[in-house]
Parts: sequence; C-alpha cells; structure tokens
Amino acid sequence: AMAEVHVIGQIMGATGFSESSLFCKWGIHTGAAWKLLSGVREGQTQVDTPQIGDMAYWSHPIDLHFATKGLQGWPRLHLQVWSQDSFGRCQLAGYGFCHVPSSPGTHQLDCPTWRPLGSWREQLARAFVGGGPQLLHGDAIYSGADRYRLHTAAGGTVHLELGLLLRHFDRYGVEC
Amino acid sequence: MVKETALPAAAQRGEGRGSPELGHWPSLSSSQGLEEGISQITSKSQDARRALVWNFPIDVTFKSTNPYGCDTAVCENICFRHKKTIPMFVPESVSKLQKFTRWDQVGPPQSDGWMPGTRQHTDAGAGPSLEGWPRPSVPLSPPQPLLPVRGAGPANAALLSSVTRVRSQGFVTLLFNVVTKDMRKLGYDTGPPDTQGVSGPSTPQGLPR
Repeated sequence: AMAEVHVIGQIMGATGFSESSLFCKWGIHTGAAWKLLSGVREGQTQVDTPQIGDMAYWSHPIDLHFATKGLQGWPRLHLQVWSQDSFGRCQLAGYGFCHVPSSPGTHQLDCPTWRPLGSWREQLARAFVGGGPQLLHGDAIYSGADRYRLHTAAGGTVHLELGLLLRHFDRYGVEC
Repeated sequence: MVKETALPAAAQRGEGRGSPELGHWPSLSSSQGLEEGISQITSKSQDARRALVWNFPIDVTFKSTNPYGCDTAVCENICFRHKKTIPMFVPESVSKLQKFTRWDQVGPPQSDGWMPGTRQHTDAGAGPSLEGWPRPSVPLSPPQPLLPVRGAGPANAALLSSVTRVRSQGFVTLLFNVVTKDMRKLGYDTGPPDTQGVSGPSTPQGLPR
C-alpha cells in the first residue's frame, strides 16, 4: 500500500491587510509522485467584511487525501488574497504559499503575503483608482525560479489551521 | 459547553440559538448520539460579562474507514480537551436598498427559521440582508446550513463562490474532548500527545481568548 497523507483543516482568515472585504483563492500544488485521492485541489472563500476587529474570517474547510510514492514535491498550499469593493471590482491584496506541515497533528500556520509593485506611476494609480499589477502565471507564488524578476511589497498574513494525518509512512522508513 | 463570547453592538437584543451540526462524511458507517441539535434560546447576562451561555452537551461517536470528509477533530490528539472559537457570519446583500428595507422584516426567531451563523448562497443583488432574525416570509432560497465543515466536493465549492458576501460579527466557543480507537492499528499516525506546532504570532488579532 502507498503512503497516505490527510490534510484536514481550514483557512481561518487574514489580518494585516489595508483593504477590507477580502476573499482568498487557494490551491494545492504537489510533485509527480503524489496523487489526490479525495477532495478538491483548489477553491475560493466567501468575501468577508469584519464587523469586530480587523481580522477577516473565512473558516474555509480544507479536506484532502493524498497517496504518494515519494517525498519529493511535498504539497504546497498557495494563496491569493483579493479585496472586492461595493461595485464588485476585485483588487489583488497579496500572494502567499506555505508547505503543508510534515509532522502529524494540528498546526497553526501564519502565511505572510506579498504583492507585486509596479512602476511609481502604477503605484500612484493604485492609490487613487485601484488595480495594480498581477502575476501572469500563478506558479511564481509557490516556485522560486523566476522570483528574481519581481519587486514586491508586503501584504497581510493569512492564518490557517491544518491537521495532518499520516498513514504507512513507517513502512517506508520515513521518520516524521 | 457551547457559549457565545462576543456580539457586536448591532445585535444587542441578546438572544441566541445555537444549532450544532456536523458535516457530510462519505465513509461514515455508523454513528451514535445526536449529530445535530438545537439549543435553548438564551439571553445576555445582566452582569458586566454580557455573556450568552447555552452549555449544550455534545456526545457523539463515529465509525469510519477513512478520515476524508470528517470533522477536524480527527486530527486532534487522543484524550485531549479542545477549545475552539468559531467565527460566525451573516450574508450581506449587495444592494443598499435591500439593506435599508430589511429592518422592517426583522422579527423574533421562528422554530423553522434561518439560523444565524449558517451560510447561505446569495447571488449578487438578490435577497435581503440577513443581519437580523428574518420571518419565514422573507423570500430566501431554502435554507441550507452550510457550516464550514462542509467544504470538499465540487457542489459545495460552487456554492461557496465569490458572489457570497458575508460579515463576520461574533464567535461561538466550543469545548470538547476527543477519544479515538484503533487508528494506530490501521497504520495512522496522529502525532505525539503534545503536538501543537505554532509558527509566527501566537494568536490572530481579534480572536477572543
């Protein structure tokens, strides 16, 4: 039997973003040795406008069941935080990623985010009318290959609670 | 114990009804005990705490062959006591006119009415703002209590789409104990008893403790 990993948890919410009315698009990227047995690989939360404090809450469930033949390409959760204004227009607030934890049990994770900075003209425009540059290809969020091209600024932090359940890892000599 | 710990000034009427419900678990073969329930109506205490207390018992046993689709509790440690603070949402209408007109539709909670804290799918511009306690006459699509545990599956993913706008405005506190049986025998590793990995700041801002 192959080794199995269950990722069961939630994207709790986000803090530290200057924008309100936030939602989060998320996805899971894995290497070739991994196979998703159950669950959806990507999703999108609702838009939340917090009434108490400044933390936007999504409580978005994540329930994934993987089978794997190797440790390479351990799952990475990648996130895009967007804000939506009253006219329904969306503006990017930040990109972030975090590896799914590798030890079993419950983990509280804080994922910092960043957003691309454009030219000073674009930054000025963003301050007045919104918008701003976005990545053409989402894989720069979880991959380091082309990062050297980017100039970015910090966004807020996404808070996750992920539970990890491992199965049959000891059969393959893996110590977690 | 199910106790509500915070409510915004807008909902000062101080009545609350909790409806604990557990999500859909495909491989569930049997369960004992109540999987869902409705609490009493509680009012805020007169003291400085302004607390809403239900003290609602939860005692349920599940049997399954696969953790997929279960509640988060499976990953919690064996024989451990857990306290969870769950944020509650209210769908928000997009139209300002609907937000203005809804105040005369607010009424006392009905036994078959929509429960606050459940999520509804609202199309942009459709439906009233559900901030208060709507009477049954409010034209909603059939209430579907989509608690956050129900997330997996393409059908639910479509429901929780970008057109759903909500306001988070309060928390419910849950306290429960978990016991598991035969997980190690089936090859599952749930982690050592005191595993609670933390990275970054210890508590998200705004989360009451």
